[in-house]
Amino acid sequence: MSPDSAPILEVTTLVKRFGGFHALDGLSFHVTSGEILGLVGPNGSGKTTAINVISGLYAPDGGEVALDGHSIGGVASHKLVHRGINRTFQIPKPFLSLTVRQNIEVALAHGRAGVAPPAMAALLEEYRLTEVADRPAADLNSAQQKMLDLVRALATGPRLLLLDELAAGLNPAELDWIAEKIKALASTGMAIIVVEHLMGFIEHITDRVIVLNAGKEIFEGTLAVAVKVPQVIEVFLGGEHAA
Amino acid sequence: MLVYALVAGVLFGLYFSLVGIGLNLVFGVMRIVNLAHGDFLMLGAFVAFGVVTLAGIDPLFAVPLAFVIFLLSGLLLYWVLVPRLQGSVNPEMLSIILFFGLSQVIEAVTTIFFGTSERSIQSRLLGTVFQTIKVKLFGGKPDGSGPIQIFGQGFPAPWVIAAVTSLIAIALVYVYLYRTRLGTLTRAVMSRRDEALATGIDVDRVSAAAFGIGLGLASLAGVFAPFMFGSVTPAFGADATVTSFAIVVLGSLGNPLGTALGGVVYGVCYMLVQTYLSSWADLLPYVLLIFILLLRPSGLLGRRVRVA
Amino acid sequence: MPSILRHLLFIVVPLIAVFAVLPGVYQNHLLLFNFVIFLTLAQGVNIIYGFTGYLPFGYVGFFGAGAYGFAIMVMHYQSPAIIAVLVGGLVGVALGLLLTPLLRLSGAYFAIANLAASLAVLHFVANPALENITRGPYGVSLTGTFNPNDAYAAALVVLTLTLAAVVYLKNSSFGLALQAVREDAVSASMAGVSVVKMRVIAWLASALVAGLAGGVYAWYVSVFYPDNVFSGDFSIFAIVFALFGGVATITGPIVGVIILYGVYNLIGFTTPQYFQLIYGLLIMGLVLFLPAGLVSLATRRGWHVP
Repeated sequence: MSPDSAPILEVTTLVKRFGGFHALDGLSFHVTSGEILGLVGPNGSGKTTAINVISGLYAPDGGEVALDGHSIGGVASHKLVHRGINRTFQIPKPFLSLTVRQNIEVALAHGRAGVAPPAMAALLEEYRLTEVADRPAADLNSAQQKMLDLVRALATGPRLLLLDELAAGLNPAELDWIAEKIKALASTGMAIIVVEHLMGFIEHITDRVIVLNAGKEIFEGTLAVAVKVPQVIEVFLGGEHAA
Repeated sequence: MLVYALVAGVLFGLYFSLVGIGLNLVFGVMRIVNLAHGDFLMLGAFVAFGVVTLAGIDPLFAVPLAFVIFLLSGLLLYWVLVPRLQGSVNPEMLSIILFFGLSQVIEAVTTIFFGTSERSIQSRLLGTVFQTIKVKLFGGKPDGSGPIQIFGQGFPAPWVIAAVTSLIAIALVYVYLYRTRLGTLTRAVMSRRDEALATGIDVDRVSAAAFGIGLGLASLAGVFAPFMFGSVTPAFGADATVTSFAIVVLGSLGNPLGTALGGVVYGVCYMLVQTYLSSWADLLPYVLLIFILLLRPSGLLGRRVRVA
Repeated sequence: MPSILRHLLFIVVPLIAVFAVLPGVYQNHLLLFNFVIFLTLAQGVNIIYGFTGYLPFGYVGFFGAGAYGFAIMVMHYQSPAIIAVLVGGLVGVALGLLLTPLLRLSGAYFAIANLAASLAVLHFVANPALENITRGPYGVSLTGTFNPNDAYAAALVVLTLTLAAVVYLKNSSFGLALQAVREDAVSASMAGVSVVKMRVIAWLASALVAGLAGGVYAWYVSVFYPDNVFSGDFSIFAIVFALFGGVATITGPIVGVIILYGVYNLIGFTTPQYFQLIYGLLIMGLVLFLPAGLVSLATRRGWHVP
């Protein structure tokens, strides 16, 4: 990763309102290919909303989201998938009555990956789903459902991957394992944005973090520096005391 | 003619509110569309037939009778059907089908016992109890129940009696929801079902009560159906369900008191179309329902939007 | 052998062959014709409910519209029956297009809006004010095209096409994507599936099936009233048959029609309320004890059911 390469995603003064509540209130940041960017902040600071807007689930109410320099605000999700953006969900919703293999087939067939998508067998093997490949997704445990959700995203060959609390609920061994997987994906040139509460995990895998509060970024840099900034400390402690 | 249509519309509208309110209460609490709602209306009408033919008394006595019978049936049905349903994969879709099956069973059983012929009750029978009381207490002779004068126009007495009964019933629903403990819990479940569960409210008890009251209200409305619509057959239920749904959606799904507004708006539209465009009046509930669902799915009062 | 070929060869071909031969050996042609119609409608419901998850309580709207499309072509344009059947299918599709906004609704809202739509179409067609066009409530009589044998053959063709469509859905990534949309629209769009387009295609295909069936039905019976061809029984039977067998399969709706419509005819038309009672109880029992239909008895054991 070279710091001066053009960003794949550029978010500029993004605004998203729900009724009178400003979930995003002028958020700006960027991410470049091969970089792992962490989005951290207290509950309700707008992390998941940011991912939802970038992945096309919500249209922004103001500001701009640009992919490769082209504005994509308000473009339908499936079109963004075809242009190389994909994501996982905090609570994955796989196609429960379809088998694991069929779940992946849908994404392989409709993802229109720009580059040749990974092969089914390799995906199943790499994310430890081979043994359950022909079982309905409803039979999977929650960690397996998370892996299936990730595989669903990877099957569309994304260039920008948004991970919404992928690590939550995994055991320490699984955490180390998935951290290596994420780093390996980034080393292929994929840009990755990680939303996560586990600070150790964030510190281990991210190159850079953005700290959000009330829908705006209040810090940008490495986590090691962030934890020394008074404003960041206040937001986190204040947030936890309030909660 | 306009005054007549408007007053008749309000009278019918109050009655329509009663027709829909039970469906909305059940939906608000259980998130289940009771597709057998209209069939309980139909059964209420048959309770009225029974009271008239077997006991020979004022069909108004069928009002408390029907309410109690179907309140209890509702509680029983709830415990038989719902727990099993809520353990399934897709309770919303399955509940539609389940209650549809129930509506078929009710219609079939009623047909088997009473046949398919159209039944009606002479409208002068409704409210005879008032005449009797008047004669007993104040003397004088029964003068028969002629039309009731409102704004210089005569309206059939049953319309007015149905409208007044509906008003009382809706007021009682209000008292239940806002002045009783179970009612407060009911409102809690209606606004946030998951949180109500998490805070330890006995959601099953609240839902069973709502289901029983919902069916009771439907049957109560049914008592007046023979007077408002001329006659009733066992097949009346399906149309009544769609009409009720139109009224409920018009007001606001999940807000039982919004139904009162929905009913009046519907009643006035109904009477205006009946008066000025009578050949197209049959289309009204359906077209209105579709347009409301598409243009303002949250109803006139609501905020909730349900889209795929 | 690829499974698509296997399904065509071992399910579609034998079924069509049996119904092609039966009129030669069995007297009650009307019954056979009704079987073919219900097989078609149950598969039409399968396309929209089984694969897409929309419960079409007003499915008969397309059927009735198709029948009236046929009638109007024959009455006003003296069109040949085949053309009129095709127009019936197109009328079904046109109605489907008109109703596409309903697809924005979910669950019960869709089901009831669709029911209301079918009743609206019925009251529209049956309106005395349209007597010049539809003959209003007085019904139509199409003696000029009356030809039950040809109509039966046409019904078989429509059934074949419908079954072929379901076989395609069962064996294609298109069908898989539809099921993905049914399970979760957001995840499906994140798999790259164009959710709206998929739903609309399935909806129109299902409308086309019912429209064609309605056209063929009008051809076969030749005399009918609005209440006949818009009878809610068509929607209900088609839905119940499909559910009873098991939706999102090829064989489920077929099994459902053969068993339940067979039972219906054994009980007889003279006491329809007893059948209504039985199928009402069946529906309730099905939801409570076997929500995925008869085929789930096999799939639970791990057997694959096409």
